[in-house]
Amino acid sequence: MTQETSLAPDLSVVENIMLPRLGAPGRLRWRALRAEARALLGELSAAVPLESRVADLSIAQRQLVEIAKALALASRILIFDEPTASLSPHESERLFDSIRGLAVRGRGLIFVSHRLEEIFAVTDRITVLREGAVVADGVPTKSLTQPELVRLMAGRDVADIYARTANDAPRSEVVLDVRNLAAAPRVRDISFQVRRGEIVGLAGLVGAGRSETLETLFGLRRRTGGTVLLDGAEFRPRSPRDAIRAGIGFVPEDRRVQGIVPDFSVRENLMLAHLGAHAGPALGYGERADAATALLDRLELPRRRVLDASMLNFSGGMQQKIILARWLLLEPRLLLLDEPTRGVDIATRSSIYSLLRRVASEGVACVVVSSDFEEVIGLADRIVVVSDGATVTDIPAVLVDIEKLAMFAAPRSSAERTHTILETLAATHGGTATWIDLDGPRLFCFDRVDGPAPADPGFAPGSFPEIGETRIPGALAAPAETLTGDGPLQTLLVPVHGRRGHRLGLVALTLSRVPAGFDPSAVRQQILHALASHDEAA
Amino acid sequence: MKPVLRLLANQIELRMLLVVVAVMAVLSFISPYFFTASNISNLMDQSVVIGMVALGQTLVILIGGIDLSVGSLAGVTGIVLGLACHQSGLAGGVVACLAAGGLAGLFNGLVITYGGVAAFVVTLGTMSIGRSLAYVFSGASSISDLPPALGNLSAGTVAGIPVDFLCLLAAYAVCFVFLTYAKGGRTLYAIGSNAEAARVAGLSVALWSVLAYVVSGVMSAVAAIFLASKIFSIDPIGGSGLELDAIAATVIGGASLFGGRGSIVGTLFGVFIMVFIRNGLNLLNVSPYWQGTAIGGIIIAAVLIERLLSGTRRR
Repeated sequence: MTQETSLAPDLSVVENIMLPRLGAPGRLRWRALRAEARALLGELSAAVPLESRVADLSIAQRQLVEIAKALALASRILIFDEPTASLSPHESERLFDSIRGLAVRGRGLIFVSHRLEEIFAVTDRITVLREGAVVADGVPTKSLTQPELVRLMAGRDVADIYARTANDAPRSEVVLDVRNLAAAPRVRDISFQVRRGEIVGLAGLVGAGRSETLETLFGLRRRTGGTVLLDGAEFRPRSPRDAIRAGIGFVPEDRRVQGIVPDFSVRENLMLAHLGAHAGPALGYGERADAATALLDRLELPRRRVLDASMLNFSGGMQQKIILARWLLLEPRLLLLDEPTRGVDIATRSSIYSLLRRVASEGVACVVVSSDFEEVIGLADRIVVVSDGATVTDIPAVLVDIEKLAMFAAPRSSAERTHTILETLAATHGGTATWIDLDGPRLFCFDRVDGPAPADPGFAPGSFPEIGETRIPGALAAPAETLTGDGPLQTLLVPVHGRRGHRLGLVALTLSRVPAGFDPSAVRQQILHALASHDEAA
Repeated sequence: MKPVLRLLANQIELRMLLVVVAVMAVLSFISPYFFTASNISNLMDQSVVIGMVALGQTLVILIGGIDLSVGSLAGVTGIVLGLACHQSGLAGGVVACLAAGGLAGLFNGLVITYGGVAAFVVTLGTMSIGRSLAYVFSGASSISDLPPALGNLSAGTVAGIPVDFLCLLAAYAVCFVFLTYAKGGRTLYAIGSNAEAARVAGLSVALWSVLAYVVSGVMSAVAAIFLASKIFSIDPIGGSGLELDAIAATVIGGASLFGGRGSIVGTLFGVFIMVFIRNGLNLLNVSPYWQGTAIGGIIIAAVLIERLLSGTRRR
């Protein structure tokens, strides 16, 4: 099981699950195959239509199909490689349920992940790998704490890999101003600003359109709508060269595909963007030699050993540092980074973070795409959450935690079920239904549906006002499961919980006129029941 | 590894030089005629046409492409040369010939780069078109009574070395400098090694991809000029089979057909090896029918050995 599923998108679910069987000699017994596929999906308690094309399924469903395919081979051991990278919190939980069910039925499961909270939630024993060697073998999960695990992974105390340093760069100047950017098919409506010296995180699930956004800004992808202002002037790059000339650097997501030139030495890899940027027919390596060695020193790369060696001799972390250095050599005004720490060991990660901080404090505007919510929160000053190709919210990093980011980032397919519940509520009772979460004095709004007689609670999806700034401060200050009045508005708050029992925020129903016979506890039951039945259907 | 061995393992040019020397030694041992002045001059002569085409082919193979049309292009540009010479003299003929080669290369490059069609397919097509046009333009007969000045190209010598061979060396020297010290040269290597990374780094990937094919076309025309100068008659079938020699010389010279690896000096040695072996087979009175088998076997063996030597270094 890998992050990207290896299914044949044009074949049906049955054909995919039974694919290894299609190569066997003899006639295909479709009836038997179908029955077997149904039984396997049943074992996962997954309701996936057998005859639908895999391309039409959601990513979560595809993963279940892939698990079923592995089970069809009578696998006794299943390996999951970062299976939750593209799943919403709800979907991850369903996956964990399936995984646990398999373990109970005697299958061995290996779960590869960098999301520590998932490891603690799912596994029984932990094996830690560092630089290709086992450093902890089969330690019972219960005997470890999160900091201990981090120490094992890093090989030393990583004091605080996200330690913030003073950043004195003046923040007034807007370097990049993206307005309603669209690039079919993935990017639909992206808007955000980046100022000098600021690190902005683009958070979201895999497939939300974040990489495509960066590629569009860098001229690698055709823009189909919106405007981009660079230093206040309209900017429309037709190629990476235009973007580079305008002072933009881009660290791509996949080093091997878009970053490294494998047949070149480290020196030439380092100079590659310089080669593209500088004018004239010569190489111009000489004029940058001093800057290059200075950069290597700054990145703690041993220059003597490094420069003439082949790029392929180095670990992912070293390679990533070299690609970073390639762009820093051009002294960009704006640096776009796509998953800058993917496949990078934790110690190098920490040094990449502090490097980015320093670069930002020198006045470079940075945009960092990351699927690792912990990383975004730790690294960025502001977080722009993207879901299904559109910006959902733009929020200071200090205000959010992983859970709230996950709820903001939920893909349409998963957000739809809460949305349906909100719609039903607003339609039956009138008023306005919202999905929110509370954190101290602050409210986070994930979704909102206005019914026939809307009652504006004072916040919109993606906003995060203080409770006092809303129109229903009384209800929010003391969440009770009865109607609470704020002037003309009456609000009912119902906490929602995931299957693992953890909070998934609150559903709020705000009414301007309470209908006759309105029964708060019945409505509460209605909400919880709707959520539960959705869980069954999913 | 001992320093000498490491140098050998890392420097394909040195390995090739050793092979060239070895082949020469063996041939001079087998045939006393090999090292005579007339045979050496003959060898230099024969290197020119293959060498000119192989130079262009090397640039194309460096970017991970291939140009099968070079032989046919040498044929059709030769006919253009002959016809244009009759119309407007030698200078006009040469210009028309080079322009025709460049245009054909431009066509190859544009369709491959912007049309996204595999180089193999496109140049297979132009290979057929080129040969067909050679017959159409010439009316399927050979062209003689060329300007006498054309013959001087291959007749003259400087310090005992044929002028055409000096031209070849000059072309390779220019190409060597270009590939080592010019932005365009490094761009060709970067395209062959990882075109996507080159594009992201702001290199002009499309431009240089097209130019590689243009140069290959022009070099086919250059080869056609030297071929006409040597035979002093132009035949529509001229240059056939050149693509095999050119690709073989490039690959024997250490270039990777996946692109990104290879050297122009290696190609030059590859050209010498091809020419020596053909010459040696003739000196040994090997039947022409068997020579193809021998050459083919040597190509496969050479590349196989090269792969085994540098084996694990490919990604």
